[in-house]
Amino acid sequence: MKRAFPFLLFVLFLSLFSASLSSAQVQVRLRVFEASNVGSRIDSSLRDMRDQFKPLVDFSSYRLLKDETPTLYPNRPVISPAHPGRVIELTLIRQDKNVAEVRVKIKREQRDILDTQVRLSPGRTVSIGGPKHGEGVIIVTLSGQF
Amino acid sequence: MKDSCLSISELLEKYFDQEVTEGEKHLVENHLQNCPSCRDTLTSLEGLKSLIKAPVEKAAQEEDFPWVWQKIKREIQPQEKQGRWPSLRFWLVPSPLLKKKVWVPAVATAVLLMALTTQVIFKKTPSYSDASVVKYVESQTHHIMVYESENAKMTMIWLFDEGDQESSKS
Repeated sequence: MKRAFPFLLFVLFLSLFSASLSSAQVQVRLRVFEASNVGSRIDSSLRDMRDQFKPLVDFSSYRLLKDETPTLYPNRPVISPAHPGRVIELTLIRQDKNVAEVRVKIKREQRDILDTQVRLSPGRTVSIGGPKHGEGVIIVTLSGQF
Repeated sequence: MKDSCLSISELLEKYFDQEVTEGEKHLVENHLQNCPSCRDTLTSLEGLKSLIKAPVEKAAQEEDFPWVWQKIKREIQPQEKQGRWPSLRFWLVPSPLLKKKVWVPAVATAVLLMALTTQVIFKKTPSYSDASVVKYVESQTHHIMVYESENAKMTMIWLFDEGDQESSKS
């Protein structure tokens, strides 16, 4: 029993270490929507976005195109097609307790429209907007689900 | 057996081994003169002694003691050579406390605790006052503006087309 004790401690240490490594994952909420000044329709799930955007860019219409919550693991890109003909690639680079560093790539026809790395934290939303779509613009928002 | 024999029998072995006092010696000898039973006991003790002594003495005579001593000396000499650096040995040889197995689990526990606590102590708490939300940003096709709001907890990355910029200038 005395000899088994250090071995058990070693096993415990290894399991804790591996658990700490394996716990590096984060769920992010990815929303893609079209914002424009044509009409005044605001999807109910985008009312919070409208309030946030209003001081900066005041659109009258917000139309949801995609709302999903993929789970990101370190260095494993998650690819999500986005309208129109764009691809969003999300990769978890690093995660501390309440902060996740995520690399975001938006591609169209193999060209990087955007390549950025952002820190997601509780309550903070990162929005990427601007590419024109019809009469309005496409906006992508990311927020961490901690 | 008489009562006097009983008390003498306790002294008889001591008498035989010459461990009695002068008074006890007189007492035993006076008793032996008048007691054939105790005399027989003493004789049997002497017989037992000679029985043991003879083979031991014989074995001792046959044993080659100088050879045994040489063997012992050979074993001792290397240890004496090691003693040239006593101070160095003092530092190199681990303490007897360290040899005890109790230290193995203790050290393992300490390492485990250190590993867990250093993670907590040295874990950098993210602060948005000294760390921007956007670590880097680049685009092959668009101009970029980044807006970070601390109060509204919102960060916006806005992409401009060439045409947008020109129209905003005009």
